[in-house]
Amino acid sequence: MSEKETSPTILQFAPLNSSVDEGFWHSFSSLKLDKLGIDDSPIPITGFYGPCSHPQVSNHLTLLSESLPLDEQSSVASTSHGNRNKCPVPGILYNTNTLESFDKLDKQSLLKAEANKIWDDIQSGKALEDPAVLSRFLVISFADLKKWSFRYWFAFPALVLDPPASLVELKPASEYFSSEEAESVSAACNEWRNSDLTTDVPFFLVSVSSDSKASIRHLKDWEACQGDHHKLLFGFYDPCHLPNNPGWPLRNYLALIRARWSLETVWFFCYRESRGFADLNLSLVGQASVTLASGESAETVPNSVGWELNKGKRVPRSISLANSMDPTRLAVSAVDLNLKLMRWRALPSLDLNVLSSVKCLLLGAGTLGCQVARTLMGWGIRNITFVDYGKVAMSNPVRQSLYTFEDCVGGEFKAVAAVKSLKQIFPAMESSGVVMAIPMPGHPISSQEEDSVLADCKRLSELIESHDAVFLLTDTRESRWLPSLLCANANKIAINAALGFDSYMVMRHGAGPTSLSDDMQNLDMNKTNKQRLGCYFCNDVVAPQDSMTDRTLDQQCTVTRPGLAPIAGALAVELLVGVLQHPLGINAKGDNSSSSNGGNNDDSPLGILPHQIRSSVSQFSQITLLGQASNSCTACSETVISEYRERGNSFLLEAINHPTYLEDLTGLTELKKAANSFNLDWEDDDTDDEDVAVHM
Amino acid sequence: MNSGREVIDGRLTVEGFSVAARAFADKWKTHNQSLPPWSWVPLINRTLLLSNQEEGYLSLENILILSSLEESTEDESLNVATECSEKEEPVDHTILVQNQENEAHYYDFHIVYSASYKVPVLYFRGYCSGGQPLSLDVIKKDLPSCSVSLLLQSKWTFITQEEHPYLNRPWFKLHPCGTEDWIKLLSQSSISAGCQMPVELYLVSWFSVVGQVVGLRIPLEMLN
Repeated sequence: MSEKETSPTILQFAPLNSSVDEGFWHSFSSLKLDKLGIDDSPIPITGFYGPCSHPQVSNHLTLLSESLPLDEQSSVASTSHGNRNKCPVPGILYNTNTLESFDKLDKQSLLKAEANKIWDDIQSGKALEDPAVLSRFLVISFADLKKWSFRYWFAFPALVLDPPASLVELKPASEYFSSEEAESVSAACNEWRNSDLTTDVPFFLVSVSSDSKASIRHLKDWEACQGDHHKLLFGFYDPCHLPNNPGWPLRNYLALIRARWSLETVWFFCYRESRGFADLNLSLVGQASVTLASGESAETVPNSVGWELNKGKRVPRSISLANSMDPTRLAVSAVDLNLKLMRWRALPSLDLNVLSSVKCLLLGAGTLGCQVARTLMGWGIRNITFVDYGKVAMSNPVRQSLYTFEDCVGGEFKAVAAVKSLKQIFPAMESSGVVMAIPMPGHPISSQEEDSVLADCKRLSELIESHDAVFLLTDTRESRWLPSLLCANANKIAINAALGFDSYMVMRHGAGPTSLSDDMQNLDMNKTNKQRLGCYFCNDVVAPQDSMTDRTLDQQCTVTRPGLAPIAGALAVELLVGVLQHPLGINAKGDNSSSSNGGNNDDSPLGILPHQIRSSVSQFSQITLLGQASNSCTACSETVISEYRERGNSFLLEAINHPTYLEDLTGLTELKKAANSFNLDWEDDDTDDEDVAVHM
Repeated sequence: MNSGREVIDGRLTVEGFSVAARAFADKWKTHNQSLPPWSWVPLINRTLLLSNQEEGYLSLENILILSSLEESTEDESLNVATECSEKEEPVDHTILVQNQENEAHYYDFHIVYSASYKVPVLYFRGYCSGGQPLSLDVIKKDLPSCSVSLLLQSKWTFITQEEHPYLNRPWFKLHPCGTEDWIKLLSQSSISAGCQMPVELYLVSWFSVVGQVVGLRIPLEMLN
C-alpha cells in the first residue's frame, strides 16, 4: 500500500534464504562415503525454489536429496509432486575435507567465479533461453561424517548495479492493474503455472493489451512483444512475502535487462501466490530506474555480493544430524522404543529407568553367562561386567551363545570375547571383562599363592561393591561361596543359577544379615516374620568343599542337556527384573506359585516373585520353593559375616585352606555331631539341645 | 466371499489401500480447500506379483505452522567460532536488513500402508525453515492442546519414532497397533445402520480420528 512518489529511494532487495532438507545431507553423506572419498572437486547441484505462497513467510531456495547428481535408483520416484514449487536452479557445491580448509576457502573468488558465469550467460544470451541461470548459487560446506554434523554457507551471487537502481514506485498488483486486467493477468499466470512446460520457468514477460487481455511470454520473445502491448512488465517468481520489497532474483534480472535491452525504466512484477493460485494482492508491481552503463563499463563484470547471513551475522550455518544418521543412536532409539511399547501396551507401571541404569556383574561367562547376558540386553540393561578366567574352547560356541568359531581359533579369553560380542550386537553396551579365577574354599593354596589369591578376593569384593546385581553362574558349588558371602556382606542382589544334567535351579539370595535393624537381630529368628530369605548355602549341612577332585570327567565338567542353560539363564534374568521392579527390592518376600493373593501380586506388575525355582526337564516340571536364611549358613549367616568383617584376610585364608573351618565356625560341626548322637541315642529323652533346629 | 469392496475386520488389503487413498485424496481436494491436496507417490522398482495396481503412499508436505520466537531456541546448530573478517564484502545498501521473524515450522505427512498390520499408518516430521529437524517435544508444542491430552490418555494412539519404510530416515508415526480395533468400532456403527463400510471410505474414517491428533481436521462433508 505504499506509494513512493516523486523522490525515488534506493531499491532494496530482500535477501534469499536457504533451506537444506535433511535428505540432502543423507544423500550427500552416502555420495561422499561411497563414491567421492577424499575427492573435493566441486559438485554441480540443483536448487529449487518457487514463488512465495504465504503472506507471512518467504519461500526459500531449497536443497533436497534430488539436488545431487543422480546416481543410484531409489525406491521412490523422484519429485512426482508439484514441479511448480520446485523450479530448478543450477548451483555448485564446494565441500572440503577438513574444517581448516573450509575456513580457508577464498570466498570472494568463489563468489566472483559464479557471478562471472551469470554475467557470461547474460552476455551470451543463454539467460534468455534458460532464465533460471540468473539465480545460480554457490554452497561451501564441510561434512563431518564421524559426528554427522554439517557446516555450510550459501551465496546467492548478485551483480551489483553501480549506481544502484532506485525505486520509483511499488504497490500491490491489484492496485496497479484495473480489475479486468487483474483478472486476465491472474488467469494467464495460472495457466503458465499449470503447464508442465512453463511452470518451472521463473522469469517471464507479462504483456497486457489495450483491451485488458494479458498474456505471458518467454523472455526470448521480447523483440516479438515490442509494440504489441499497452503494458509490458518483467515478471518473476518472487519468493519474498514482504509488501515493501522485491525479492533477490530481481537483482540479476535488472542486470540482464540493462545489459540486453538498455532500458532505463523497468516495470517489474513480483509474482506471488497463495493456495496454489496467483494472488495479486500479495504480488507487487514496481517501477525501477536504472542508470545505463556506458562504454567500457558496459562490458566489464560488475562486482558481486551475496553471502547469506546467519541471524544477521557473517558466519556459516551448521546442523547436527547425529540423531537421525548415527547408526548407534538409531539402534539405541529403536531398542528403547521396543521397551516403551512393552510398557505402553502391556505393563504401564514398568520402571524402565531402573533397568537402564542397573549394573550387572556376571561371574562366569559360559553357557549360563552368555544366556544371561543376552536376556539382560533384551530388557534394555546396558551395563554388564563378565568375570571368567577361561578361554573359548572348541566345544563352546555351539552352547555359549556369545562366541563364534573365530574366538576359539584365536584363543580368546571368554571375558574379553564376551565383551566384544556384546558390542557387536548392540554398540551402546557398556561392558567390560575381568580375567580372574574366583578363590574357592577347600582348595588349599601354597604360601606363594597367598598374595595373589587375596588380591583376587579383594578384586572380587570391589567388583561386587561397584555393581548392583550379581549373577552366580560358575560351574562349581564352591566357587559360589565367596561371592555369596561378599554379596551378603554388601547387601547386593545375588541371583544364582546352577545346572545338573537334566535339572536346574534358579534362586535369588535374601538380603544380607546386617540389613535388619538392630533390635531384630536380638530376637530369635524363628519367631519373627521379617526373616531373610536363604542363600544357596543355607540349605547345606555340609560346607562347600572340593567337589572336583576324584570325580569322574562328566561330573567335573558340567555336562547338561543343552536346553537347560538357555531356560535357566532366561529365568535368572526374569527373576532379577522381578526384584528390580518390586518396591522392596532385595527384601521382597518369596512367593510360591500357589500363592495367588497376599504375596507379591499386588506389588509387582510382573506377577509373583519366587525365592527358588527348581525344574526337571525329564518331567518338564517346575516348582517354586521358599527357604529362610539359616543361622548356620557358611556363607550368609551373621556369624560368618561378622567373622569376615573382623578378621578379613586371615578368615579367608583359613576358609580356603582348612576344609572344616567353616563348619566349625558356624556350628555345623556341632550340629552334625548332635544329629549323629541323636540317631544313636534314640531312646534318650535327656537332650540338652533345645536350640537345635534344623532349617531345611 | 469378500468382493474386496467392503472393510472386513478393520483391515485393508494393499489394493484396498490404493483405492481408498485415491478416494480420500479426491474428497480432500473437493472439500478441504484450506489445505493443499494430497499427492500419490508411486513406488517404483518393486516387483509387482499380482495386479498392475501400483503401490505407493499419500504425501502432504510443507504444511506451515508459525510459532512464536521463543521456540527458535530449539537449535541444533553447533557453536560457530569466529566471524570471518578477512576480505569483507563491501557494505551494500541495496540489501534489506531483515529483523528476526517468527520461526516457521514445516510439516510433512505421509500415509503409508503397513503390510504387517494391514492398516494405514500416518508418518510425519517437522523441520525449521533452515531444514533442521524438530524434536518431538517441539512438535508437541505445535499440536493443538486437545490432541496432546488425547495422546496421553488414549491407548489407541501414541507417537513413536521409526525408520520411514521407503526414505530410510527416522520419521515420527502414530503407532498402528490399535488401528484395527477402533476401525472395527467405527465400521460397526455403519453395520448397525445396515451396511458395511465401503473401502473407499476407509481412509476418510481413519483420518477423521488420526488427523485430529496432528491437528489436521477434515470437514464433515467428507464423511458422506
